Amino acid sequence: MTVTSSDHTASGQPVSATGTPGAIGGRRRLGGPLRALGWVALLIVGYLLPTLLGGGNQIYTTFVLVAIFAIMSYGNDVVLSYLGEVSLGHTLFWAAGAYTTAMVTVRSGWAPLPALLLALVVAVVLALVLGLATLRTREFVFSLVTYAAAIIGLTVVSSSDALGGSDGLVGVPLLTLPAMGGQYVVRTNADLWPIAFLLLVLVIALIARFRRSRLGATALMAQMNGDLATSMGVDVRRTRVLVFVLSAPVTALAGWLYAYQRSYVSPDLLSSFFLLFMLTAVILPGRRQLLGPLVGAALLTGQQQLASFGGDADKIVLGGVLAAVLLLSPNGLVGIWHALARRARRRPGTAEAPAGAPAPEAAASADPANRTH
Amino acid sequence: MKLLAQLVNGLALGAGYALLAVGWTVLLSAARLVNFAHGQLYMVGAFVTWFVMAHLGVPYLLAAVIAVLVVAALGALMQLSMTRLTLDQNIVNLMLVTLAFGYLLQGGAALVFGGNPQVIDSPLQAHTVALSSARFTLQDVLIVVMAFVMYGGTVYVLGRTNLGRVVRGVAEDPKLAQLYGINAARVYLGVFVFSAASVALAGVVVAPRSPILTSIGFEEVIITFLVVVLGGIGNLKGGLVVGLGLGVFVALFGAYVSPAYAMAAAFAVLLVVLVVRPQGLGTR
Repeated sequence: MTVTSSDHTASGQPVSATGTPGAIGGRRRLGGPLRALGWVALLIVGYLLPTLLGGGNQIYTTFVLVAIFAIMSYGNDVVLSYLGEVSLGHTLFWAAGAYTTAMVTVRSGWAPLPALLLALVVAVVLALVLGLATLRTREFVFSLVTYAAAIIGLTVVSSSDALGGSDGLVGVPLLTLPAMGGQYVVRTNADLWPIAFLLLVLVIALIARFRRSRLGATALMAQMNGDLATSMGVDVRRTRVLVFVLSAPVTALAGWLYAYQRSYVSPDLLSSFFLLFMLTAVILPGRRQLLGPLVGAALLTGQQQLASFGGDADKIVLGGVLAAVLLLSPNGLVGIWHALARRARRRPGTAEAPAGAPAPEAAASADPANRTH
Repeated sequence: MKLLAQLVNGLALGAGYALLAVGWTVLLSAARLVNFAHGQLYMVGAFVTWFVMAHLGVPYLLAAVIAVLVVAALGALMQLSMTRLTLDQNIVNLMLVTLAFGYLLQGGAALVFGGNPQVIDSPLQAHTVALSSARFTLQDVLIVVMAFVMYGGTVYVLGRTNLGRVVRGVAEDPKLAQLYGINAARVYLGVFVFSAASVALAGVVVAPRSPILTSIGFEEVIITFLVVVLGGIGNLKGGLVVGLGLGVFVALFGAYVSPAYAMAAAFAVLLVVLVVRPQGLGTR
């Protein structure tokens, strides 16, 4: 058990279950300190990026939204990448985070941190109920039930007077956090950026920790070979529920942030847009990449914020991107990158012998990413 | 008597649910495929019917044929693009691709048909029949008749004919079926096109009961889930019984408790059933 888990994650990059041979091979490992230094540099550059790009209001808004949507997507990433299940119900946790926050701050005047705590608890409870109810369901029934749960959530939220009905709840107060010698009041997206950035970093650290954890290894094993995992004493059902329950508060955290960013909540949180967004954010860069959902969220948010074609056309863009990636390169951009790298490496040798034996074999064993040319 | 009226209403509603689900039941039992764009195909079927009637002056019956053909062609395009995933039985990616297709269809339909609610002017909707205290339209009668015809026909074709044997063979073991010279890809294509055509038919006959919007389709998908999962996955007769029962449940719950939460209540029933009997209510 322990051996397997360290094998899977020795390079922080688990073995691919989708059958891409050598997708990870050849990555050079940096030494510990050098690697840490790289992360610190990435952190500093990441934090200063909106300022470096001019620091306008739209820049900060885009960056805050990227952070929020990335956190939202990381919740679903845990289930999709490591459990291999498609949760179509994560909009429920996202909306639960936002709605809980709006309910207690607007109606009862709660402070942001207790509201956050309650939002996380509500998400965990919802995930437990849904996870236990779907305990014995197979893969697509799981997806069906989670999807149904989200749509039921939508009908309940839109018709409940207590939750503001189809208008939602308005007037979420300013995000005010206790700070040294006073209070930190978030009035603009530029004020929100440090908080959103910090939470994003914490979530990525949590995901990195999860990938190295026993639970993460067990989840992967259950995904790749459930029978083998069971025969090795892994309780597959328990693992599934645990990972599902872990994923919910991550997405709910994003909902908490979003409630403060917009200062209102409405049933559109449960619309299929956010569902498609989080799935595409995971799949577009390639599943099981630590920074994948962040890159995906940045690409999608960038398009929506800076190059939008209008609501209905954006639906076509989002749906089209998801379908195209899955049909042409199921391993996402990373898959394309590896296919290109393989081809580039092969080129010097095959220039003289284009019909050489290894080429067709390599092409056949390569994933459908090769079909993108 | 309110009860009789609601029972009749529930029967028509439930026959509509069953009609929505028949294509997916076949898709699941015969091909182990799922299609999250099912509800959007229903929406496209309804909107094509409305469009050719309202803009081209085509009569309802001909509009029905056109809508079924258009959606069948859409279904063929979808399945042709997914052939590789289907043969690999890559359910996770198939679910995601069809979900993406559904979203594409929704965005595309909104661009083509606009965002306003529309009404399909079916001539049968105008004829009201009174039976004691219950009133229903000829459209309701058509829905019930269609549901029984579709289920009867499908059960017969799958169970009694050579075509049915081929389809069941592929469902059982696609690789083995291919060894016997069956073109599995073509069978999958046929099943998917049937599924799309049947849900378009549901759109044609069920949608005239209420105004249509391009955003409809999601509720239709859960109804389909409920019918398919409660009926026992891939169990046609179970699907018909559950569809009708669900319609009566929703009608009664809507009339006596709360119409807004009828779907949520049906879903709660689904959760309870999944915990107690994950294989569904149907017995095989």
